[in-house]
Amino acid sequence: MSRIRDDYDNSRWRKIEDWIKGEKDPMDDTMEIRRPLDDNPDTDVQITEESLERTTQRLYKYVNRAYNLFSVCFCITLVTVMIWCITFMPAFGDGNNPVNNEVSQRYIEKGLEETGATNFVTGMILDYRAFDTFGESCVLFISTICVQILLRHDDKEKDTVVNRELTRLENDRLFEPKNDLILQKVSCVLVPIIFIFGIYIILNGHLSPGGGFSGGAVIGAGLILYLNAFGFKKTERFFTDRTFRVITLSALSFYCIAKSYSFYTGANHLESGIPLGTPGAILSSGLILPLNICVGLIVACTMYAFYALFRKGGF
Amino acid sequence: MIRLIVCTILLLMGMFMFFTATVGVNKYKSLNRIHTAALGDTLGLFFVILSLVLWRGMDLASAKLLCVVVFFWMASPVAGHMLSRLVVETDEDLGEIEMIDIDEEQL
Repeated sequence: MSRIRDDYDNSRWRKIEDWIKGEKDPMDDTMEIRRPLDDNPDTDVQITEESLERTTQRLYKYVNRAYNLFSVCFCITLVTVMIWCITFMPAFGDGNNPVNNEVSQRYIEKGLEETGATNFVTGMILDYRAFDTFGESCVLFISTICVQILLRHDDKEKDTVVNRELTRLENDRLFEPKNDLILQKVSCVLVPIIFIFGIYIILNGHLSPGGGFSGGAVIGAGLILYLNAFGFKKTERFFTDRTFRVITLSALSFYCIAKSYSFYTGANHLESGIPLGTPGAILSSGLILPLNICVGLIVACTMYAFYALFRKGGF
Repeated sequence: MIRLIVCTILLLMGMFMFFTATVGVNKYKSLNRIHTAALGDTLGLFFVILSLVLWRGMDLASAKLLCVVVFFWMASPVAGHMLSRLVVETDEDLGEIEMIDIDEEQL
């Protein structure tokens, strides 16, 4: 915890901030300003408000122009360096590239046989490298928890009527359009389609491009659209803090237990007893389908939770 | 050959729509900006995808592309509408805007 400065008004940072905002001159109180004598008014240079304003404006213009010039130069330099770096890369699709080693060869040759998934990518991330995906899901969960720690709105603070009124006035969510008829009608049509599409992506993760992450993101977007159209009162009926906790925790623990079991049996050359099924069927490829569902649930909950936390500070 | 020409013309029309939308977004302020952006998202996207569908012929991929058009035509104008409502309610130096007030109790 950082030290709280009590003389913040006199600190150097505050002075710089004031100077940037134009509220205070840093030379204030340090220089003595003497009015020129009125002996000969012809040579007297009058510094009026207007001329001061003009000078500042001109300075602003120069600074802006220099800033633009520097940013363009910076961008051009960056682009040049990147393009220069690309010339050192091996050619795309070359057979001798370092990417084409025995690992990817193994994935392509034995992937279908060992994982049962016709989509090799899903077979890779949810079978060979399942713990990596588990870590990613945990990262999503932990980030949601961190956001919740920072942004959660506590109900106990607004017990009194005055406090409630104050928060109501300060709340800029008042300006958000509510109960928009057009949005409601359109989301009535779109939300079910979005949900079905997301579920399709998740369930077909081992057969076609897609999987838990993309499908979960689609479902989360559908939830956010529903929330925007109908407000928190409708979504709180099926999605609360408790729902979020139950879904994410059960999905994560199921993932952990199932994959630990699979890795344990695989490492000890035991029969896992999980049927792989015929490749291409919807109920095939062993654990990949349930794990996809778990990942999709976690991602959807995380997306929705982020939105709800940043917007209202709760579910 | 005719198909190629038609597809090219449609693609160029779509690109022209997107180009004008980009110019408008950078040129105008607040509400007009939303209007031009919505133009690019609807008509420009429609022309581009129509030319792709004509080039490809009717099959599953073209059907998916048409689904994309339907989705965008439903979602994009509504997004523009919501943005404009927010602008009207929050922008103080917008000037006089005639707004149709719907009583929220009726909804």
